[in-house]
Amino acid sequence: MIVISRLLKIRVVFAAFIFVAFGYGMCEAFSFGFLAKIFPLYICLFCTILAFFNLILEIRHSWREAIDSGVGFVDLESEWDIPMSEVIERFCRYLLLLLLLYVSIWLLGYSLSITIFLVIFYRFLTGTTWRIASVAGLAGLAFISLISKLMVIDWPLGIIQNWIHLPWPLG
Amino acid sequence: MEIALQSLRIILEPSHFLMLISGVLLGLAIGILPGLGGIVGMTILLPVIYGMDPHDAFALLIGMVAVIPTSDTFPSVMMGIPGSSGSQATIMDGYPLAKKGQAARALSAAFTASLFGGLFGAAVLTAVIPIARPIVLSFGSPELFMLALLGMSMVGVLSGNRPIKGVLAGGLGLMIGALGAAPALPEYRYYFGIDYLMDGIPLVIIGLGLFAFPEIIDLLIKGKAISEAPTLGKGWLQGVKDAISHKLIILRCSVIGVIVGFLPGLGGTVVDWISYGHVIQTTRDRENFGKGDIRGVLAPESSNNAKEGGGLIPTLLFGIPGSGSMAVFLGGLLILGIQPGPSMVSEDIGLLYTAIWSLALANVFGAGLCIMLSKPITRLTIIPFTYIAPFMILILTLASYQATRSWGDLIALLIMGILGWVMKQYGWPRPAALIGYVLSDNLETYLFISVQRYGIAWITRKGVIILALIIAISMVLSILWKTKKKPTTKLVYDSDKQAS
Repeated sequence: MIVISRLLKIRVVFAAFIFVAFGYGMCEAFSFGFLAKIFPLYICLFCTILAFFNLILEIRHSWREAIDSGVGFVDLESEWDIPMSEVIERFCRYLLLLLLLYVSIWLLGYSLSITIFLVIFYRFLTGTTWRIASVAGLAGLAFISLISKLMVIDWPLGIIQNWIHLPWPLG
Repeated sequence: MEIALQSLRIILEPSHFLMLISGVLLGLAIGILPGLGGIVGMTILLPVIYGMDPHDAFALLIGMVAVIPTSDTFPSVMMGIPGSSGSQATIMDGYPLAKKGQAARALSAAFTASLFGGLFGAAVLTAVIPIARPIVLSFGSPELFMLALLGMSMVGVLSGNRPIKGVLAGGLGLMIGALGAAPALPEYRYYFGIDYLMDGIPLVIIGLGLFAFPEIIDLLIKGKAISEAPTLGKGWLQGVKDAISHKLIILRCSVIGVIVGFLPGLGGTVVDWISYGHVIQTTRDRENFGKGDIRGVLAPESSNNAKEGGGLIPTLLFGIPGSGSMAVFLGGLLILGIQPGPSMVSEDIGLLYTAIWSLALANVFGAGLCIMLSKPITRLTIIPFTYIAPFMILILTLASYQATRSWGDLIALLIMGILGWVMKQYGWPRPAALIGYVLSDNLETYLFISVQRYGIAWITRKGVIILALIIAISMVLSILWKTKKKPTTKLVYDSDKQAS
């Protein structure tokens, strides 16, 4: 169990995912026509080998509980002042919130969902009063309505619009 | 000269001037909204220009497109979100500066560099009109392939001490770019039976997913303001001084911007990365890049404005659009009844100068307005992020959905966002992935055309050899300087430490 818990860290799982993705890309490339396969095949071939070495390195690092180090301009890696387990937990919470927004868009349509989302977010996560949250929601609705007019975009409708006739911009 | 002055007089007439300012204001608004760029702006304006006087329409269209690379700096610096495709690299150092409480310095340096780059582009456009034709024609597919390869060589630079992860991230970007229709023949690749993937994933989704989504989530997790310092600092003058003291960097990157913009087909989306990579490669003390080095802001900002001047050269003189926004601009010219091509130099020279003056004046007004707006906008960085996040999520979903206007955009955003967040946490260089994605299509298409047209002999072309030498020299210099300047301290990533 200890061995598995040491190895099953997100970084190792992600490195394995990258290896599998390139491996799949390589296998899939064989099914394409000659001119279509050359580019992805050679990239995947090269990257699969490299991803394998990277996976070994990640496993070795995890096994030794080594910390990855790097200097300079690689990326904007996060530096946390809270435990990583809590970071993951919060990430999952916000991801769930976004998934709920998506489900809401599917059910209620984009305009209505985003308005409700703004109100709920401001009221319960930001902690403002209902009044401010409602103003924010209406401001959001006005903004997407303006963009809809300017760019001639119809926002996605939900299931509810098939049942109830709602006035523009909600329907 | 007389025609040039006459065009200036026309542009300064109140009605024309109003059009220019309207274009500038629209461009500023579009640039500030993440994910929207020149193509969206041009598309909004196309229905407006029907029946309009060509000088007015030029002022409106060019005024708009010229300032997007200036105002798109706001979201890049203050929120780590690419304002448009041309300001992706600005995030690398602009955002860390904002986190240090130096947003004001980063913005003023960026606007000064943008102003110079824009004016430089306009000047080059003026100078190049008589000699553009042979230069454009000397770049065939093999040379364009080598230029794309030069862009890919930046992956090494942006990988820091993690070359394997950098190359893999670049490869991942190339493969994401290979989704959908193959350029060489009518065949669809890696689309898993999903119609949405048949056209590939749009750039705006990749940019927002890899950069904006992780930043928003991280700021929500932290629950603090963007700026870690409680004040904005007094960096306005410092930013201008930075730009002046690094004038050679700005000049060099403006030249890069003009060249990349000038070459049809390479696309403006990569110009900021090329100039960012260039400034790192040619700098000895580079350990602060990515942590808030002002040179990392100056380089992309000067080049992305300069590219607009370069992009107008093939568009106006040959009818070949240098970028996506120029392709829509070309449509606008046809609506106005103007036939772009070499005949413009003889028949419509007045319009050409209108374009040049519009470009120059729009840059001046754009930079001036941005500096005026900076102070109130910068205050966003010291407001707790939970107040900004809901609207950022709104803009994120809105900007994504307008890409192809399908549910696939929203789903792809979520998937790319999760990928970007994991990459960010575990030290996978996201810029390398973005460069790979941006160059994927160019690399494959130009390689295919080169081989079809010239066989293996394409590698013996003079231009190819020169570009290969440039790539080799820049990589060798980069490695040499890196080993000479080996750092003595190690940066420990808390996330990794805590994870283990």
